Amino acid sequence: MSAIIPTVKLHLNKRETTFGVPLYITAVVALVSILISLVFWRSGSQPGTTGWIEGSQANPGILYALVGFLAYLGVQSVATTFPFALTLGATRRAFTGGTLLWAAIASAYLTAVFAVLTMVEIATEHWFVGFYIFDVYVLGAGDLTRLIPIVFLGALTIFTIGGVFGASWVRFGARGPQLIAVVLAVAIVLTLIILIPYAASIFAAFQLWWLAVAAVVAITLSSTGTWLLLRPAVVR
Amino acid sequence: MTNAITIRSATRTYGRTRALDDVTFAVPEHSICGLLGRNGAGKTTIMSIIAGQDRESSGRVEVLGHTPFEHAATLSQISFVRDNQRYPDDYRLHHVLRIAPDFAPNWSAEVAGELVAAFRIPSKTQIKKLSRGQLSSVGIVLGLASRAPVTLLDEPYLGLDVTARGLFHQALIRDVESQPRTVLLSTHLIEESASLFDRVVIMDRGRVVVDSDSDDARQLAFVMSGTTDAVDRLVAGRPVLRRQRIGGLASVTVEGGADDGIRAQAAARGVQLAAASLQELVAAHGESEPEIVQEKAGVRA
Repeated sequence: MSAIIPTVKLHLNKRETTFGVPLYITAVVALVSILISLVFWRSGSQPGTTGWIEGSQANPGILYALVGFLAYLGVQSVATTFPFALTLGATRRAFTGGTLLWAAIASAYLTAVFAVLTMVEIATEHWFVGFYIFDVYVLGAGDLTRLIPIVFLGALTIFTIGGVFGASWVRFGARGPQLIAVVLAVAIVLTLIILIPYAASIFAAFQLWWLAVAAVVAITLSSTGTWLLLRPAVVR
Repeated sequence: MTNAITIRSATRTYGRTRALDDVTFAVPEHSICGLLGRNGAGKTTIMSIIAGQDRESSGRVEVLGHTPFEHAATLSQISFVRDNQRYPDDYRLHHVLRIAPDFAPNWSAEVAGELVAAFRIPSKTQIKKLSRGQLSSVGIVLGLASRAPVTLLDEPYLGLDVTARGLFHQALIRDVESQPRTVLLSTHLIEESASLFDRVVIMDRGRVVVDSDSDDARQLAFVMSGTTDAVDRLVAGRPVLRRQRIGGLASVTVEGGADDGIRAQAAARGVQLAAASLQELVAAHGESEPEIVQEKAGVRA
C-alpha cells in the first residue's frame, strides 16, 4: 500500500493554503499594480501609449510577490508535515514522491489561473482601461507558450528548493539550511569565476530554453536532495 | 503465541550517546504491554524504531514479521503518536480527523467522534494552541480510532485530568476487546495503568532490566521495612535494588522472591516484608546504583 496519494491529500488538507492564499496574494498585487497605474495616469501618462505599455509590462511585481509565499509553502511542506506524515504511516519514499506530486499539482493550478487571467486581460484589452497585470515581460508578455512553462517550472522550482531547505532542517536542525545556503553561494561564486570571461558571448547566445533546462535540473537536484536528507532523518 | 513485535539485540547510538543497548524483548499479539522506566531510559527510542520512524544501529526489529523501516504494508498497520507529536502549521482538529482515515485502513469515525466528545477537544482552536492535556487527547483519538493492529502509545496521559484518564482506560479496554490489537504503552502513571498490562518491560539507561508477564512481575522483588540494623542484617548478601533510610528506619527493595527462610527471619526481627508493587519495581530499577537515600517521608510502615 503506497502512501503517495494519501501524502498528496495530506498536503491538500489545508485547501485554502494551497488554492486560496496564492489567489489572495495575486489579487492584492493586482490591486497595487492598478493603484500604481492610477498614480502614473494622474501624473500625465496616457494608457495605450508606447511609454505606458513598456513601463507597465516591465513590472514584475505579480511574480515576485508570490515567490516568498511559494518558498514558505515548499519549506513547510516538508519541515512541519514530514513528522506528521511519519506518524500517519507514510514511508519516506512515499512522502517525497507525494510531496513532489503535490508541488506539481499546485504549480499546474497556478499556471492555469495565470493563463486564464492573462487571456481575460488580453481579451478585455487590459481590463478595458489599459492596465497591465499579467501581460508582462516576466510572464512572457501575453504569449501563453512562454507563460505556461515560466509559471509551472518557476513555481515547481521554488516549491522543491523550499522542500530541500525544509528537509535539511529536519535532518540537521538550523545548521542544515545554513549549510545548503553556503554550498549554493560557493557554487555560484565558483561558476561566476569560471564563466565571467565568457559572459559577453554567453549572453549573446542565450536562449530562453536554457532557463527551462536549468529549472528541470534544479527540480531534479532538489527532489533527490530532499529524499537523501529525509531517508536517514530522525524525528524527535 | 505469535509475537506482533520482536526485538533482538537492538542497539541505537546517536554520535557518542548509546540510547539503546542490546535490547531484546517481544510483545505477543493481542496483548497490552507496559513499557516503563525513567525519562531517558530509551522508551520513545525503541517505540520510534518499532514504528519505522527510526532505525536500529545494530540488531533486528520485526513488526508483524517484517522490518518496519520503509516497509509500507507494515507501517500501515502501525499507529504511533509521540508524546510531543508535531502537526503541520495551522492544523485544527478537523484536519486531523479528515486525513487520518486515508492512512489508517481500519479507522473508526465512530470511535473518533465518541472520544472527541468525551475529551471535549475544542474544534476551532489551532492544535498548537491546545493545552497539554488537550494535545494528549488528540493523540489518543489518533491512536485508538486508527484501530491499527500494532498501537504504540507514548505517554498518552500527559496533562490529562483524572476524568480524562478514566475515559481513556475505559475506551482502551472496550475497543481492544471489540477489536483485538497489540498495544505498547509507555507511562509514568504506573499504579493507575498497572491493571491494563498483560506484560511489562522495564528499561533503564537503554537496557531492558525486566521483561515479564504482568503477574510474575510482582514476584520479582520484595520490600523489607524495619529498623536499620535489622534490615541490614537480613539483606546481607542479597541483591539490593534500592535502599532508603530515615533516622533509625530503613526500607530496602530486594531483587528476587521472598522465601520461607527470610520470612521467618523477618518475623523474628520485626521486619515487615511485602511484594514490591510495579511502581516500586520501576523506581528501584531506575536508581542507578544501590545507595542510601535520605527522605523526609516514605518509609514503609
